[in-house]
Amino acid sequence: MTTALRATVAIVGAGASGAAVAWRLASAGIDVLCLEQGGWMDQARSPARGHGWERALQSRFHPDPNIRRAKEDYPVAAQDTPIQPASFNGVGGGTLRWGAHFPRLRPSDFRVRSLDGVADDWPLSYEDLERWYDLNDEMTGVAGLAGDPGNPPRRAPRDPPLPLGAGGMRLAAGFDALGWHWWPSDAAILTRPRPGRAPCNNCGPCGVGCVRGARASNDNTYWPAAIAAGARLVTGARVTRLATAQAGRRIGAIEFVDAEGVARRVESDIVVLAANGMGTPRLLLASADAHHPRGLANGSGLVGRRLMHHPTAIVTGVFDERLDGHKGPFACALYSQEFYETDPARGCARGFQLQMLRGSGPVATALGGYMRRIGWGRGHHREFARQFARGATLTVTVEDLPEEGNRVELDATLRDAVGMPAPRLSYRLGENSRRLLDFGIARASEALRAAGARDILVNPLSRQAGFHFLGTARMGEDPARSVVGVDGLCHEVANLAIADGSVFVTSGAVNPTPTIQALALRMADAIVARLERRGG
Amino acid sequence: MSMDATLMDAVLGTLLPGEGAWPSAGQLGLAAEVGAELGEDGAVLLAALPVGFPTLDAGAREEALRAVEVSRPAAFERLVAAAYTAYYVDARVRRVIEQETGYEDRPPQPLGYELEPFDEALLERQRARQPFWRRP
Repeated sequence: MTTALRATVAIVGAGASGAAVAWRLASAGIDVLCLEQGGWMDQARSPARGHGWERALQSRFHPDPNIRRAKEDYPVAAQDTPIQPASFNGVGGGTLRWGAHFPRLRPSDFRVRSLDGVADDWPLSYEDLERWYDLNDEMTGVAGLAGDPGNPPRRAPRDPPLPLGAGGMRLAAGFDALGWHWWPSDAAILTRPRPGRAPCNNCGPCGVGCVRGARASNDNTYWPAAIAAGARLVTGARVTRLATAQAGRRIGAIEFVDAEGVARRVESDIVVLAANGMGTPRLLLASADAHHPRGLANGSGLVGRRLMHHPTAIVTGVFDERLDGHKGPFACALYSQEFYETDPARGCARGFQLQMLRGSGPVATALGGYMRRIGWGRGHHREFARQFARGATLTVTVEDLPEEGNRVELDATLRDAVGMPAPRLSYRLGENSRRLLDFGIARASEALRAAGARDILVNPLSRQAGFHFLGTARMGEDPARSVVGVDGLCHEVANLAIADGSVFVTSGAVNPTPTIQALALRMADAIVARLERRGG
Repeated sequence: MSMDATLMDAVLGTLLPGEGAWPSAGQLGLAAEVGAELGEDGAVLLAALPVGFPTLDAGAREEALRAVEVSRPAAFERLVAAAYTAYYVDARVRRVIEQETGYEDRPPQPLGYELEPFDEALLERQRARQPFWRRP
């Protein structure tokens, strides 16, 4: 065993939340060290520069770690879920692979028990979080437009919105004709230059990395600033266990295997987990010891439970005219939150967002993208020609209510490259989510028809849409009903905090990254205050 | 188990037959690439085909492949994915796509596409709407 590394705060995971925490702490002069099992990605060498970019999306940039099987990945037992995992390991985490859609939760999302009698309220409000949302927007660089009547005003400055493209123009007209809400997306994509980052040139496949640095990923936003402020980052580090001290009341060390396969340790005053809502409960459960026989910080029994995704249906309209949807960031054009809030007439609670996806390249069109693939054999080419460059898609992304049976556990037999148990996902689509999806599919179809679509293609539940892992170490004030408090610090282990989507109480119906990062920044400020009190 | 390239070409030509300007996948020399992608699955799928598969007429080949699709669905899906990917990234097919659809046969970068300014006049109706987000 080599000499232990030492830091004031050690972070596990260099993705969206870990990067934000590292920057905030390092900027306050705190000695920070982050362990990341992946490495740096050279986005300047993105496959977008060559003809093989679509092949890359099916292989080394595939969102599913069980298909991608990169050396930095861990396997996931996903037989017991209709929604397969999507995650990415590296400096920047999932933001290396994401579409950069950047919405915030609404104020009502924090009060679903009070408003609608379902799930639980959060122990904080939108207003409590707002200044960290604004700070995160400024650090990230957001294109969009203030004034959306469907959301509270946005104070942080924005670059001009991305163009809608031909498909977006038709959809906007369709929403207007129906009298429904739409608004240009908040996108974590620059449309004006920043130091070291060029504005978007509308190339399309954000998922293979951005050669211009226009699309924010945390290796081009928070990490350069964090490292400049003194944060240390160790890549190729697989964390295997958190070892407790003081009769289980504190974390004594983080155990990890480094890039050379050597077992090592980090000792720190505070440990922050930022390994996403699947990796964090996995590590807590794998760190069970005599003081925490059910897993660390798991006196409530809720570690790994209440797993929420964003169940997603895909509705594609096929138009007579060319829309050329391969032009422009695939996930960022416009959205509608007309049906975001509860309407008792629907027979279910909460709501959904309709988000436009632009079109696909030839390979993804043939393989169906998020839809079913085009059939093989005679007739294939006619169907390809009918669909290619003529589609515009609406995703129906619904709020997923927490259910304790939906969970992350440790698999009994499957192991990763260093022998650590793989996570096992057990997930059943809830009745409320199914009703929301069905209602949303009908509305999306209506919108596409109003936009002029000739044919409507429906995927009632996207299998490859497990990109958000939420709620598996929820926050709350009651230690019997939650894992962490409002500042992200664990109730049961004094120097352990959680910064990722695990802490979500409910899911909302929008992409969670801005909220994850705002919570992480808020938590970092709480740690700074705690350390200052101790120092004083 | 080595792969029979002639047999794989016949399979590819059945999955993606030539039609109009579209070349048959069986005539593009993709067998080795698809076989490598499939590994052992490829050999297993080919072994499930009837003797003389390449000599059957198009309808009979399609019928035989549909039987394999039913009996070995997971491996067959991998075959289709590998075949579609190899076919649609092939330069000869990309040129046909360009001719038939106007899609530019070039990588997305470095040129990208024009980033047109967003026309805020599009939002006239939406801006006329009162804020409707729910206040707790």
